[in-house]
This record gives sequence, C-alpha cells and structure tokens, in this order.
Amino acid sequence: MNALRAAILRGARATPRAGAATRGTRPGDGFVFSQLRAYVEGDDPRRIDHAATARVGALQTRVYLEETTLVLAAIVDESASMRVGRRRPLAAAAREAVRAWFGALEGEDAAARIVDERVVRDRRAAPLVRARGEFRFEGALTIALCAVPRGASLLAITDGFDLTGETPLERAALRFDATVLLARDPWRDDLPLRGFVRLRDAESGRMRRVFVGARERARYRAASHAREAALRGRFRDAGWRVGTLEEEDGRASLMHAFALR
Amino acid sequence: MTFAHPLWLIAGIVLAALFLGLAQRAARRGAASALAYSNLDFFEQATRRRFDPALAIVLAAALGVVALAGALAGPRFFANVPVRGGAVVLCVDTSGSMRATDVAPTRADAAAAAVRAFVDAVPNGTRLAIVAFSSGAGVVAPLTDDKDAVRDAISRIPPPNGGTAIGDALAIAARVLPPSGKRAIVLVTDGVNNLGADPLAVAPQVGAAGIEIDTIGIGTNGSGQLIPGTALEAGMDEDALRTIAGSAHGAYARANDASSLRTRLAALANSTTKEKKRIDASLPLAIFGGLITLLAVAGGLLAGRFP
Repeated sequence: MNALRAAILRGARATPRAGAATRGTRPGDGFVFSQLRAYVEGDDPRRIDHAATARVGALQTRVYLEETTLVLAAIVDESASMRVGRRRPLAAAAREAVRAWFGALEGEDAAARIVDERVVRDRRAAPLVRARGEFRFEGALTIALCAVPRGASLLAITDGFDLTGETPLERAALRFDATVLLARDPWRDDLPLRGFVRLRDAESGRMRRVFVGARERARYRAASHAREAALRGRFRDAGWRVGTLEEEDGRASLMHAFALR
Repeated sequence: MTFAHPLWLIAGIVLAALFLGLAQRAARRGAASALAYSNLDFFEQATRRRFDPALAIVLAAALGVVALAGALAGPRFFANVPVRGGAVVLCVDTSGSMRATDVAPTRADAAAAAVRAFVDAVPNGTRLAIVAFSSGAGVVAPLTDDKDAVRDAISRIPPPNGGTAIGDALAIAARVLPPSGKRAIVLVTDGVNNLGADPLAVAPQVGAAGIEIDTIGIGTNGSGQLIPGTALEAGMDEDALRTIAGSAHGAYARANDASSLRTRLAALANSTTKEKKRIDASLPLAIFGGLITLLAVAGGLLAGRFP
C-alpha cells in the first residue's frame, strides 16, 4: 500500500472531527496492510509476522487498516506569485506535490481538483490540469466546500498572499481532513539582493526600484519569518495539518507534512 | 551676480537634463530585466525606507554637473568682506555739552561705553585710534591693533569741558590714519562746531583722500536741555553732521539714548572694517561640484550598481 495513502488514512482516523462521522465516501470492503510494529500485549496472535520476527529477533505485529476508499481533493495556487523562486519556480514544486498527492489514489478512490472554478474529477487529469484564469484561494475553497464530499482529504498549496479574514478555513477543517502546504518564501533566510535592484510584482506587474542594504535584509528576514509563523498559526488554529512547500522538492514537502520521509 | 562665460552654465543645465533623461531611460530598460517577486507590497512593507537613495544619488549627480558647469561659467558677485589691516579713528566729543543727562547717565559716559562696544565688535587685526576733542583736539590712543591698549585709553578720555572743534578733530584724525588702505573716521558728537577749522571744509578733503567719515549725533535735539553750568541749550547741527558724512562717503545716524548709541557704533564697527569686493566663485563651485559628482558616482557604485 502506498505509504502516503496509509498516512492519509491514519491521519484522517487520528483526527476525527465533528461533522465527519464517515471518513470515506464509500464503506470499507476489507483490510489492507499498513505497517509492521513491535508486538504489544493484547495484539491478535494471528497478526504476528513470523518472517519479520525472525529477522528482527523480537515479535513483530502486522498492522492492518480498514480499507477505505478515499476522496483526495486538491487546491493548488497557480497564481503568478507562485512562479517565482530562487533556483526553480515554487509552482514546479507545487506540481510535484500534487502529483504525489494524487499518486496516493488506489482502487476505488476518487479525485477532485478545483481549477478555474470547476472540479476536475478525472483521476488521470487531476494532477496534470493547469489553471488558466486568476486564482483566488477563498473562491476555490468555497467551491470545494460545495462540491467535494464530506470526509474527503483536501490538500491546499498556497503562498497565502491572497488569504483574507473571510477565507472559510475553519469550515473546511470541519468538513475535510485538511492539509495545507504553505509555499516557503525562497528568500526567507537570505535576501540575495545588494544595492539597487528593480523588482516586479509577479501578480500586478508593478515595477519598483528599491535599495537593499544590510538593514533591509535584516528587516526582510524578520518580516518573512513572522509572516510564515502567522500563516502557519492561522491554519493550525483553524484545524489544518500544516506543512511547508520547499522550492527544491515538492514531493518531499508533502511527505514531511505527513511525517514521512 | 554676473557670469564670465554664461554659455557654460546653459550647457551644464542641458547636460544635467540629458543626464536625468538618460537615467529615466535606463530605468525603463532596467524594468525589462527586473526581478520578479511574489508580492511587492509585502516587500516594501518589510523593508520600508524613509527616502529613496537612488533618487538622492541621481539628484546629487545632476547637482554636481550643474555646479561644475556653473564653475566653468565663471560666477562673480559682490560681497562685503572683512578688510585685514583696516584703520579706524574714533573722534569723541568731550565738550561741556557732553555733561548733559538726557542720555543716561551722561552723554560723555554713554559715548565712552559705546566706544568700548565698538572696540569689542571690531575684527581682530583692525587698527584703531581715539581722538578726543573739545576746544582743541588731541590723540588719546595712537593707531594700534592692540585692542587692550585702546580699551585702556578709553578711560583716559578727558572729562567734558569747553567748546566743540569738530574740524580740528577731523584734520588730526586724518593725519593719524595711514596714507592707503581701508580707512574710516567715526565722529561721535552732540554739538555744533564753534571753534577751529570749518568741518564742512575739512570733510571733503578727507573724503578726497579716500577716507570714509561716519557721524553719530548724540542727544535729544530741541528738548530744552541746558548744558550743565551754562544757560545754553544743548543743541545739535544735524544738517552739518549729515553733510560731513555725505562729503566723505559715510553716513549719519542719530542716537537718542545709550542703547541706540551702542547699537549704532557696533554696526559701524562692522561696516567700516568691511569692504565690498568682487568675488570669483568658480573655484569653490568647481570643488563642490566635483566632490558631489564623485560622491554620487562612488555611492552608486558602492551600493551595487549605478541606478
């Protein structure tokens, strides 16, 4: 079984929420192997894995999860602000993460990708489809709340720049097993700019010539850290699982969010 | 202000305008290679500055170019500059009428205090002398640049007594002064010439020698004040004093009280020791322009790139 899928299942079970009595859209039809762990008194002896016990030298128990069909939904910020990066665009990492996310689909699992105010349910198309219009996180989340079944696992990838006070984060966390990957500012720890530089706002195209000295770099570092901490806090308080989308590796970022390597 | 070569100034202004135009063009070109950033509002908020150094550097460079062009245009102007080695003779009236108390405590004491203020206000290096006059005139302090010696001499000014020989005082003062350089006589009197040479005849000769005469009339004319110990009213011939000053490139001023007398004399200490000179500002302007331009260019380069 896909490790990410198992983690999604475990996570979904570990954090039951009000209003989400049913974790899947369809009832389970069996059990699937999840992991091996050391034997604990009370474990069903039938679950002891003798081969593993022989290898390790101590009793090992096979852990099974009730097989449940999943609905994996995703909202990916594809706005221009995600097309910046230090070595590669954040959007590339986001695509990797979303491919890994939908890569966890198995069996009868269902997909739902919210793109351009529509829901793409095709499992093959969901990881590949690209947005054409302007992205609004609030709008996409509202569509998910209406169109994605209760109990689905939702992954949102965003840099949080268009997040408003009205964004229904709490409602989403109540309805879904919600995970957010917050795109990390590529320049968060070290602004690689010195002296006079011209910057262009990726979204609006607005130009500005700015001077960056040691003081500006220090201020920027502090502000960027504070912004990220505030965003994480906001999602966590709303009940979301929070991870960080690193520019270098989107798949690894997603795995880290689920405590996987 | 005049310019020896005004065309250079125009050329400089055109050059500065060209520079600003090129800077703008460079800014437009730079926009094409601008670095994309997720959210410029956040960046600006995070690194907020009170002023834009780029603008300051561009303006400084433009100012430097204008200053250099201004220097090439040869700017010249007239200004009052202190004269090194100027000479001033203070002619102090010690006639009997100086005992009058309409200027507290007496005209003579107020004059002595004002002379002291004059000595204090005169720039170092200016030579001073004091001539006291009543029925006759005599040098109390010879021409010297030692201010302490002149201050000591003020206490040796004779007490008020006798007539008023203004013409003799002016003649002696003119003899005390050197034959050349910036020279001035400051006449402090309260009366009408009634003895010796006619001051209206002496003054033009003094003026012709290049000596300035400034006159100050002390007292309240027509106040009915009597000269102590006499039945004569303490009057003043202001027209004569004005004529004396006018015929020797000077000015007349009246002081009704001790404070205005001090003020008048302190002002004269400033004006009689300065002269109007034509100043050529090319060199300082060139240094200023060069320095500003260098600083602007160096600042731009040190900051990473010239804007």
